[in-house]
Order: sequence, then C-alpha cells, then structure tokens
Amino acid sequence: MSDTPDHISPQKFMAELMRYRKGSVSRRHFLGVTGLGMATTVLGSAMPGLITRPAFAAGSIGDSVVLATWPNYHDPASFEAFTAATGAAVQVNVFGSNEEMLAKLQAGGSGWDVFVPTNYTITTYVEEGIIDPLDMSKLPNYDAASFDPRFAGPGTVDGKLYAASKNWGTTGMAVNTSQTNGRVLTSWKDFWDITKAEFSGRTTVHDYQLTTIGNALKSFGYSFNSIDPAELADAEKLLIEVKPHLFAITSDYQPPMRSGDAWLAMCWTGDGKQLNKDIPEISYILGKEGGEIWSDFYAIPKSAPHLDAAYALINFLLDPAINYKEAMFHGQPVADARVDAMMSAEIMADPIIHPAAELLSNLEFGAAATLTDPNRAEVMARFKSA
Amino acid sequence: MHSTAYPQAPASDQNPIAEFRAASKHYGEVVAADAISLSIMPGEFLSFLGPSGCGKTTALRMLAGFEAPTSGEMLLDGVRVNDLPPHKRPVNMVFQHYALFPHMNVADNISYGLRQQRPKPAAAFVAQKVAETLERVRLPGFDTRRIWEMSGGQQQRVALARALINQPKILLLDEPMAALDRKLRREMQIELQSLQRALGITFVLVTHDQEEALSMSDRICIMRAGRIVQIGAPRDLYDAPNSRYVADFVGKSNFFEGTLSSVSGLMGAVDLPTGPGRGRLGQDVAVGRKVSLSVRPEQIYLSPTGGAFAVQVRNRIFLGEHTEYLVNNPSLGDFLVLVSRQTEATLGAFDPGQDAFADWTPEAALILNND
Amino acid sequence: MRPKLINRLLLAPAGIWFLAMLVLPLAVVLVFSFGERGQSGGYVPAFTFAQYLNLPARWKAFENTLTLAPVGTLIVLLIAYPLAYFLALRANPKWRTLLLILVIVPFWTSILIRSYAWIFILGGRGIPALLDMLGLHNLRLINTPFAVLVGIVYGYLPLMVFPIFVSLERLDKRLLEASADLGSPPWRSFLQITLPLSLPGMATGCMLVFILLMGEFLIPAMLGGGKVFFVGNALVDLFLQSRNWAFGSAVAVALVVVMLVTVTIYMRAMTRWGNGRDDVSLM
Ligand SMILES: Nc1ncnc2c1ncn2[C@@H]1O[C@H](COP(=O)(O)OP(=O)(O)OP(=O)(O)O)[C@@H](O)[C@H]1O
Ligand SMILES: [Mg+2]
Repeated sequence: MSDTPDHISPQKFMAELMRYRKGSVSRRHFLGVTGLGMATTVLGSAMPGLITRPAFAAGSIGDSVVLATWPNYHDPASFEAFTAATGAAVQVNVFGSNEEMLAKLQAGGSGWDVFVPTNYTITTYVEEGIIDPLDMSKLPNYDAASFDPRFAGPGTVDGKLYAASKNWGTTGMAVNTSQTNGRVLTSWKDFWDITKAEFSGRTTVHDYQLTTIGNALKSFGYSFNSIDPAELADAEKLLIEVKPHLFAITSDYQPPMRSGDAWLAMCWTGDGKQLNKDIPEISYILGKEGGEIWSDFYAIPKSAPHLDAAYALINFLLDPAINYKEAMFHGQPVADARVDAMMSAEIMADPIIHPAAELLSNLEFGAAATLTDPNRAEVMARFKSA
Repeated sequence: MHSTAYPQAPASDQNPIAEFRAASKHYGEVVAADAISLSIMPGEFLSFLGPSGCGKTTALRMLAGFEAPTSGEMLLDGVRVNDLPPHKRPVNMVFQHYALFPHMNVADNISYGLRQQRPKPAAAFVAQKVAETLERVRLPGFDTRRIWEMSGGQQQRVALARALINQPKILLLDEPMAALDRKLRREMQIELQSLQRALGITFVLVTHDQEEALSMSDRICIMRAGRIVQIGAPRDLYDAPNSRYVADFVGKSNFFEGTLSSVSGLMGAVDLPTGPGRGRLGQDVAVGRKVSLSVRPEQIYLSPTGGAFAVQVRNRIFLGEHTEYLVNNPSLGDFLVLVSRQTEATLGAFDPGQDAFADWTPEAALILNND
Repeated sequence: MRPKLINRLLLAPAGIWFLAMLVLPLAVVLVFSFGERGQSGGYVPAFTFAQYLNLPARWKAFENTLTLAPVGTLIVLLIAYPLAYFLALRANPKWRTLLLILVIVPFWTSILIRSYAWIFILGGRGIPALLDMLGLHNLRLINTPFAVLVGIVYGYLPLMVFPIFVSLERLDKRLLEASADLGSPPWRSFLQITLPLSLPGMATGCMLVFILLMGEFLIPAMLGGGKVFFVGNALVDLFLQSRNWAFGSAVAVALVVVMLVTVTIYMRAMTRWGNGRDDVSLM
C-alpha cells in the first residue's frame, strides 16, 4: 500500500471501490488511497526498514511475515511489538472483499502468510483446498475453552479448527430517533414498513445481496440464508416495492446518516458504534426476528511462504493482552472470555458492542451457499435494476 | 506643369457611390487609417496601393463594414453607414485567400449570397444564376466540384463568382491575385478588367503590386502609413508623382540629390555635383532646400559618343524588349538606364566596363522634396 | 526492404501493446463467456450458450445504459458546445489558457473525489440547505437522476469541450466574415458555417463520451444512490460480488458488441453525412 495518493491504477481503483462498496472499509481509508492525501489510515507497519530489529532476533521464523487483512483492523503497535519480539517485520496487505481475497488465493502466488476471512467463506476455502487445519501445538495462546463457540464455531470444519476467531459483529439498523416521533423500531418488518411510509426517501440498504435480501427475508420470518425460490420471491416483491422509497442502495451510509439526508440505514456494528458515538440520537438496533451475525478469523493459506512466522503472528495476536489492545483499537467485540475479562463494565454493557442475549440468539451466520447462490444474485440484480 | 494638389474624382455629374470622410481607424496605439478622405465614383476601378502595413486592408474593411471607423464617416450612396453591419451592405468582397467555405461544393459556395436573401429566391432561379455566374467566370460544369479539388486559379474564380452573384454595388478585392503565379496573374488581371467593364460594377482593389495597380485601375490611391499621399490616374501618377515617395513607389526612378538654386515658372535648377541640373517642379519646393532630381531610367539616353555625363557601364540586365543598364558617374554615383530594343539596334549594345555618355532633357526630370 | 523492416520495428511496441491490452483480455472474456460458473464462483471451462441465453436477465441494465449513453452524450454536448464556443471565439485570449486549465482542473483528481464533492454539494447540507434558507424547503437533489446528470456533465465535460474547442479554434475566422459579407446575419452564419465546421470536433467528443458512458457505473452508484443499474454496475456485481465470471463475460461481450454496432452505425452516418469532406473525414 505504498501507492502515492495522486495516482491510482484502474485495478487498484476497482479494488478500493469494492472495499468501499462492501462498506468494510472506512471512508477515510477509501479517500486516502484513492487520491485525497489528507486521510491517513493505519495500513500497518509496512515499512520494515524503519523498525529497529533486535540483534538477538530469534531468526528461526525468518525476517518477515505477510498479513492480508481489512483496513483499520489492527493496532500498529501490535506489529511493532511483534517485530521487536521475533525480528520478523509485518507486511500488511489491505483488501476489500471476501470475494477479492478468494480470487487472489485461487489464482495463487498471493504471498500471504496470514489472512482474515469471514465466517461464511471458510468452508469454501476448505473445499477448495486453500487452507489446512491449524497446528494447535504452534498456537499455545489459543485456548479453545475460553472462546465462545457461538462466534468461534465457524472456524471449525469437520471437527478440525481451520481458522482462529479474531472478532465478530452484527448487522442491524441505524435509526435517527429524532425523526421517528417517539416510535421505536424493533424489527426488520418495522424497518421496511416505516421506509414505505414516514421514512420514504430516507432509508439506505446495503449494496450487498447477503444482508439486503437476508433482512428482507427476515421480515417475513424466513431464514436469513434462505435460498428457497418461494421465499426469495416474497423478498424480491418486498424489495421492489420498497425501492422507490429508498434513499440509496449503498454500503457507504455513514455520510448521509451524518448529514441528515438519511434517517435509517442497514448497518454493521462498527458503523453503528461510530455513528452513535458522534450522534447519540442515532441508535443501533437489531431486528427482533433475527438477522446476521458475522465473525472474522485468522487463517493460514497452504501457500504461505513463511509458515513459522504465520503461526508466530497469529499466536502473538491471540495473546489476551495483545488481543485486548487490538479490540480497544478496532472497537469490535471479541470471542475470547479472557479478553472480555479485561474490559471495563461500561464496554461490556454497551448494547451495540454486546447486544442482549435474546437478540443475539436470533441471529444467523451467513452461509457460503447464501453468498454464492445464483438466484439471490439475480434477485439482487432485478432489485437494483427495477 | 502640375500643381501639388492631387486630382479628386474624374469630372462627373454623378454622385459618389462611396465616401471616406476623414475616416480614421485606431488599434490602440496603432493608427491603421489616418483621416482618409476619398470619393469613389460609380463604375470606376480604384486601387489602393502601398507597402505592407500602410492601411490598405483597413480601408477596404471599413468599406465592407468589418471595421467601424474610430472617427470620421463612411458613406455608401450618400448615406452614413459607420455602424451598418457587413451583411446589410450592398458590397461584396473577394478575400485574400478566397475564404471559400470548405464544407460546400462550388455551386453552394457561389449561391451562398443568393441563399441569404429574404424572402428566399426560388431554387430554379438560384440554379440558373449559379450556372450563369459559372459561365461568366469560365467555370461551367464545375458546380459539384469540391473546393479542394480546384486549382488556385479556379478557386480564385469561384471566390469572384461568389462575390458577384449578389450584384454588389461595389466589389472589394483584397490582393486577390497574390497567390497566383505570374502568368496566371496576368490572365486574371485581364479577365477582371473585362469583367468590370462588362458588369459596370465599381471595383476597389487592394494591392502592393504597382504593375497590377497601374495596368488595371482607373485611379490609384497611393497610401503611406495610414494616409493617402496621392490619388490619380496611373499615367498621372507615373508622370507627375507629387512626392519622392510616390515616384519611388510607382515605377522605377533615379534620384539625384542637391540644393534647389533657382525657380523660374514651372522649371527649376538643382545644384548637382556635376553642375546645375534643370527639371520640372513636381511639388511645392523652396529655393535653398535640399531636393531630389527624379529621372525615370527610360528617360535617360545612353550614347557611345556624347552626352552631359560621362559614365561607365557597370552591369547589364536583359529584360526582353528592354535592357537595363546600371551605370556609374564618379560624381552622381550609380543610376539605372533603360534602353529599348530599337535604340540598341541602332547604337549597339553596351558591355560592362565600357565607357559611355548619359543625358536627359529637363522635361524628363522632376524636382521633388527629399522626404 | 530496409524501410519496411524499420517500420515494423517501430510498430512493434504499439502492436504488442494492442495485443496485450486489447486483444488478449477480449479473447479471455470471449472464452469465459462460453464457460460455466464454478461451485464457489469463478469459471469452469465448458462450451455452452447458457450464459448468452441468460442475457435477457440483464435486459433492463442494457436498456438503462442505452438510454443514458445517448441522452447523457447529448446533454454534455449541449452544455459543452457553448462553453467551447466561448473559450475559442469569445474569451479574451489573455485568459483563454487559464480558462482552459480551469476546465481540466477537475480531471487532476480522481473521479471518486469529485463525486464525493458532489455528494456533499448536493446532499442535505449543501445546496438544499442554502435553498432552505431562501425559503425553498425539502428539496432533494442527491440520489436523483438530476444528481447523476450533474455528475456525468461534470465528469465528461472536458472530453467534449476539448475536441470542439480545437475545431472552433482552427476555424478560419474569415469564413465568418465572408458569410457576413454575403448577407448572412451572425446567427445564420453560426448555423451555416461555424456549426458544420465544428462537426468533426463534436463527432469526436460525442464518440468519446458515448463510449465511456456505455461503461459508466461509478457516477450512478455514487450520485444516484445505487438505485439505477447500468451494464457497468451489472458487471461489477457479477465479477466482484456473485463471482459469476461466465455470465459476467457474456454480459461484457454483449456490451462490446452493442458498442461496436452503435459506433459502426454512427461512423457510417458521419461518413455519409460528410460525403468525403476532408474536414469531417476523421470520423
Ligand atoms: N486588428 C488589428 N489590431 C491591431 N492592429 C492592426 C489590426 N489590423 C491591422 N492592424 C495594424 O494596422 C496597420 C495597417 O494594417 P493593414 O492590414 O490595413 O495593412 P495593409 O496595408 O493591408 O498591409 P498588407 O499589405 O501587409 O496586407 C498595420 O500596422 C497593422 O499592424
Ligand atoms: Mg492587407
């Protein structure tokens, strides 16, 4: 990520665009890499030369390790500490979508040692033979017992741990309560209903079929992951009916929510937290019918050039003390009870970061089949072109 | 013989078709036309002649309406037209590089003027006029030709046809033949002249080619630095230039400088290094002033046997029916002598280096101020 | 022999570039378009017309694109022409260069930044807020067709202004004098001389803008709130979301074909119109 901000190749631009569109990247980062030099995002300590290497470097793991991850997802201090401890400099590649990551790994020659897949892609990686089960002997800091199986579970395929839990989050709705006349939204049904009525022209939904279709399905009480044609037909009908009332189909909903152009947005945890922190009347709500829960993981591609360094890095980042600092930096909930124990009561009680158990219990993980289902892609295309 | 006052329009009971009344044109500091006063008579062929930058085009553009005079007046048919835009003036112009419309064929170029008339003339009428006009400029059948498929001379005639089709009261021509080769230029000059006679339209021609002006015009306006210095028929200008500038510009002339020692009637005497030289008074001159004696090369006799000035032949240029000699007199310096074929036939040719004698009559010499 | 060899050597880089940048990707896309989508996305070799038979599923996207491209081109032309005319024929030559630079300045930043600027300007805190103060309430600009239009005009204006500017700048001003001299008032001189002679510039500009508009996806996504779906958007989704490379390739091939057909018709029309005129023969 050493591109100068004033020039950007089309490929790069596309990558940035997709990152931006998935909403998995902060606007600041997006602007920074696409040309507006003022945004400085932490892209990791991608400058090995600047890091003083200890003379007593362990040496055995080599002098570098390559991590592919999401933007704003790591405290740069963690990498400096890792380098100081092991002599291996961390080179960070930031990517924008699971699809892009999959494509790179499928194509081969990514050069990545560690990457950060989302729950619903892990089975695909296993099926495609891109990742191997983790060698637990090399991850002493991974204490399976202290990880909430609910969030860490998708890392295990066929009883074998392929990916170690990094952090998790939810997909809900951000609503500007100053516009609701006291009405409280509690469900996805409320979300679509108010959009067709009082909030007409004020709602945004993701430009992402998984969540937009999933949350339309939820309002009928169907599964978030449904690929049943009849159920999808209901969701499609709803979406097409709602479309004229939408402010936008976008994964970059923070700006209109902040400016007041939009009052209601389909929203991920991190954005919900940021909006709520800056504008308290914007609250983050989970639909009571359920919705999406997601979880990110550390995994090692088979092709990793620095296998030992990869394990060393994951192990280091899973050290509860380091993971706590990481969590403080990225602001998402983590699955490790040892880390939760270090958190203040205030953070533990934050309903955005740690939603009530009964709301959480209704949430579903997106499934690989949902993401790749051709019918859902067609429903989305028809919705967007309606 | 002639007074210094230059002649105005030829005696006529007609009113001028166009008039400049102290018309000036300033471009910031530059005075392109300086109080030009001139009457153009119906049916005449008038030329503006002068060196580059003297304001010829400016004068023409004021007539066409492309430039409004900064001060003074422009009249067409006795009506003040200072602010009348070009498309409302009954004059048409042949542009220096023709300015033919590249996206139209020959017929469309020629009919352009007709097609601007409102109400629109009938198509059949336009077609007939185009055919007639093409005939007139000797380009029949060229209607559908593209402009770039025409030779320079043909383009010139298209430009002429285009400007003539509206039957303008005045046809303006800005160096129309500058881009043609010498032979073609001669042909076009003759064609233009006969066309002008046939149509009876007033022609105003801008040129810096004095031969062209002399051979074609009824009257010539000699211009210098934005001013008209002399107006007259070609022969008058040639025989009676009112200044050394005109004598120099119109035809070739030798100038012998000296002090005016005496005046008697229309004749005067100039103190030349070789002794007094007599000549006609060409303009207002005062005794004691430095003047020039202007003598045309063809007015000088060259003889192997006798004459007033002993000269040595320096150079000889064969010009066809004439031979031009450059001769040198130790006191007068170098000067040109033009000897006709017949004279040479009787006296024999002179060779470079040969000694000879030169002479001229006082009537052939003109006394002009040094300016 | 010799000069021929040199010519070939000189042409080699261009040829290789052409092959690598144009022919190869197109060939790959063509091959993919007859394949099938893999279980988890991507491409599986096959020979089937299924993807092409499925094209009607994106008919709407083509319809939207084939409406936007000509309409957008026309609007850009209508706005660019007076601007180019002013710059070439009316503006003080002293300021001309500066004004021209001002026209291209937006091109110095990425289209993304420009679009973000417009999101702010047209958004609730921008122009609508100003108009609100003036008593015009609840005006919505962002995420409307108008906003998309603004973005397109803004983004494509220089592409149209420059060719037209060049053709107007090269226009021999004496032709206009000749026209006036022959009795045409200024507005008719414009229609009969200036306009036809600036046609090559217009043709070039329209071609550039039209072709690029056919592939446009960013401006509708950003300024139209993603509610308008063009072929470009369909391609982005197919390649980068549902990872259906086979169908995406078929859509891409269809787009290229549509483009080729339109451009060919356009060029034919221009050539016929120009009828061998050298000043419009470039099209
Ligand atoms: N538009 C203008 N702006 C400023 N100065 C001008 C303009 N047009 C002409 N001039 C100046 O006015 C003077 C007269 O120009 P004009 O074109 O009338 O000369 P001309 O006699 O036609 O010369 P040429 O034989 O070279 O065509 C020149 O000094 C010229 O530089
Ligand atoms: Mg001139």
